[in-house]
Amino acid sequence: MYDYTLNPYSFTNHEISLFMKIIVHYCFSFFLLFTCIVSANAQTPTDATLMTKGQICIAAIYSHDSWDEYWEGALLRTNGNIGTLTRQSITPMAILGITNRISIIAALPWMKTDASGGYIKGTSGIQDLGFWIKGKALDLVAGPGNFTTHLTLGAMQPLSNYSSDYGPYSLGLGCSELSFTGILQYKLDMGLYLRGQAGYHLRGNSSIERDYYYTTHSIYSDEVDMPDAITWGVNLGIWLFDYSLKIDGDFSGLNTQGGYDIRRQDSGFPSVAMYNSSVGGEIQYYVPGIDGFSVIANTRHVLTGRNVGKSTIYSAGIAYFFPLWKSGQTEPIIND
Amino acid sequence: MKNTAILFFLFSIIATGFIFQSCVDEQPSYIAFDAYEYASLDANGGSWHPKLLSSGSQIGIPAPYDITSAEYQAELAALKAASAQLTGEQEEAVKYWGGDGLIRWNEIARELAAKYNLAPSPDSAGNYPAPNSADPGKYPLFPFAHPPYSCRAFAYWAATEYDALISTWYHKYNFNRPAPYTTDATIVTHLPKNNLPSYPADGAVIAAVSKAALTALFPLEKDFLAAKALEHENSLMWAGLNVQSDITAGDSLGRAVWNVVKVRAGSDGLKNAQTPRPKSDSIRDDAQARLGWHWENKETPPRPVGITPLFGKVKLWNVPDVITVRPDTPPAPGSPAFEVAANELKDISDNLTTDQRRIANFWSDGLGTYTPPGHWNRFASDLIVEHKLNPLRAARVLAYLNMAMADAGISCWDAKYFYHYPRPIQAIPGFKTILGTPNFPSYTSGHSTFSYAGATVLSHFFPDETGKLTAYAQEASESRIYAGIHYRFDVEAGKQQGISVGNFSVDVARADGGE
Repeated sequence: MYDYTLNPYSFTNHEISLFMKIIVHYCFSFFLLFTCIVSANAQTPTDATLMTKGQICIAAIYSHDSWDEYWEGALLRTNGNIGTLTRQSITPMAILGITNRISIIAALPWMKTDASGGYIKGTSGIQDLGFWIKGKALDLVAGPGNFTTHLTLGAMQPLSNYSSDYGPYSLGLGCSELSFTGILQYKLDMGLYLRGQAGYHLRGNSSIERDYYYTTHSIYSDEVDMPDAITWGVNLGIWLFDYSLKIDGDFSGLNTQGGYDIRRQDSGFPSVAMYNSSVGGEIQYYVPGIDGFSVIANTRHVLTGRNVGKSTIYSAGIAYFFPLWKSGQTEPIIND
Repeated sequence: MKNTAILFFLFSIIATGFIFQSCVDEQPSYIAFDAYEYASLDANGGSWHPKLLSSGSQIGIPAPYDITSAEYQAELAALKAASAQLTGEQEEAVKYWGGDGLIRWNEIARELAAKYNLAPSPDSAGNYPAPNSADPGKYPLFPFAHPPYSCRAFAYWAATEYDALISTWYHKYNFNRPAPYTTDATIVTHLPKNNLPSYPADGAVIAAVSKAALTALFPLEKDFLAAKALEHENSLMWAGLNVQSDITAGDSLGRAVWNVVKVRAGSDGLKNAQTPRPKSDSIRDDAQARLGWHWENKETPPRPVGITPLFGKVKLWNVPDVITVRPDTPPAPGSPAFEVAANELKDISDNLTTDQRRIANFWSDGLGTYTPPGHWNRFASDLIVEHKLNPLRAARVLAYLNMAMADAGISCWDAKYFYHYPRPIQAIPGFKTILGTPNFPSYTSGHSTFSYAGATVLSHFFPDETGKLTAYAQEASESRIYAGIHYRFDVEAGKQQGISVGNFSVDVARADGGE
């Protein structure tokens, strides 16, 4: 078993292929923390891997998120005028290794919302462009494995003029976001790993199409001050069959910093407090015979929440990685 | 390592910018404006005709101490001490209330309308509990400040303020007590001075009326309103505008006027407007027998009774009766004229432009907002500030505006339940909307009726603004077509109804002595 995090520059083609596999699947976790009533998109690159220099991975992911219960404040309820709310998305994404220590990631979901009950039209369109830079800060050999830390800087920006003031039918929160995520991982050489990550999301204002709204008091503005958010998660996973199959399980969550509860029978609003915790599972399989090509499947279930939907999410996707340019001499890894 | 350092450096720059932006962008909870010198004083205002009092002199107040008396001198000294040096909080209160405070109280009334404008949630058995004025704190909270409740609330608040200020002006000029800062030039003032006699204090009258009327209308806000009124009255002394006896007399005058008006409020028919189900069903069945159609609530579970089926029977302010302004019968569902209107809605829904969506949302004024009448109060407040109206003249604008909009609500509701017309989601198979369809029949459009009544009255007081106000009314009306919750014929009938209703209030205004 190669220690791929220690010596990426010395990899053979096959070894690089193994290395790349690690990366792709984690990209999914970007989309899977979106379980809020107004779809708080807590896209968090939370993996502990990087592309090697010049390598690119291209992926497309379909996601199906639905709920028929949501938390109105702390009260879990149904709403006959919504029935089951379904949010589907297709997300193209790309990950590029700038150096062996730094990768950049971009993703742009197209979304569609629909409700089985009531008479409100669903909507569809391009949501928020996400862009992340990830760097490795620390890489230490520790016992039978490796301890690594990564830092991710992310930015998101709504690309279409979807209305964030559209209750659960809204495509997103309509605000720009800057996030900073720290990732710690310990991975045994035999493929088992434990990872923890926490992110802070600074949020800009969300613009709405009216200049008065009531939160806990009157506000005379068409700008909505958004509470910042923290995301967190713990993953336990393993690579099997010479890095052909990965199985991963996690416990994750989102907590806004501030905000307020949806009042009885009121509709959702971008600036409400949103909490959730969820469990997720994922498998990724590298199809034999097509180098760099993998299929991914993922599911997530929200367990607890506040002012968010009790979502169940299923995702499936494909990913393919290949060298974009000739890698050449890469910088040596320094254990810091 | 170098790359990581660059990453951190970039991050800290962007993050600093972000934090800075989120700190300075605290959104305003009220509309700030600078206190202004009144454009006119209306010295004869005490002779104008009030709406519910017989005259400005109907309610008496005790004669004030002479300004040479020891009592008055002591009050002057207390005022001088109170305004000489303000704490930060006092300074803020003075700036917030700006003296008379009428616009602030209008804003507070709007906020309460928004706060209480939530429909009851169904219970676990699928039944809808109803608010109960005898037990306002029990869910669902009393009141449910839907448009009928809110338009009536604004009308009582504004009409009472107007009558109370006519009384105030009567007594001000009757007793002619000069302002404290005129008597003693060494008193520090923090707001513009004027030549109004100071007894009774107009600010205290306004605070007392607001506190009494709004507490009656929003009983759970008793403590909040008492604290606001106390701060307002105190701010008059902090600002150096009124001595204590000005304030005391104003407060008792304001309360006395509300005590007259509240008799009307208690017997105007609102109590019966939210009918029990059998009555509501009989109104529906009557419409079905007469017209061959009826409206149904389409929520899940269905709400058994629409919002205030008998609001059309509530006592009108300036319109003689609802029949006078009741529109003709709308086209029957399925008729060619109906199909034209339905096809327009389907076409708009299928091809909604960004601009149409923006207009629908901007004027939505639905649940959790201050309702369309609240929106027009906001425009009126802006115009009052812009034209630097004194509180008497400002109250006159707000009184006629809100009486007209209450009349618009009553007339519109009469048509709604008389014609019991199905909403687009009921009459057009498969039709969906971008705003929630309200829980009352379609014809006529409340937004159109309220808005054209509002525009008609405000255009009378601010003739230079007619173009802008009419454009607002038109956009507010069209917004309901874009949202998919009204047919064009609802909007057009509502427009005519609103203009007719508004003109009745304008006619009364023309004859009240204040033109």
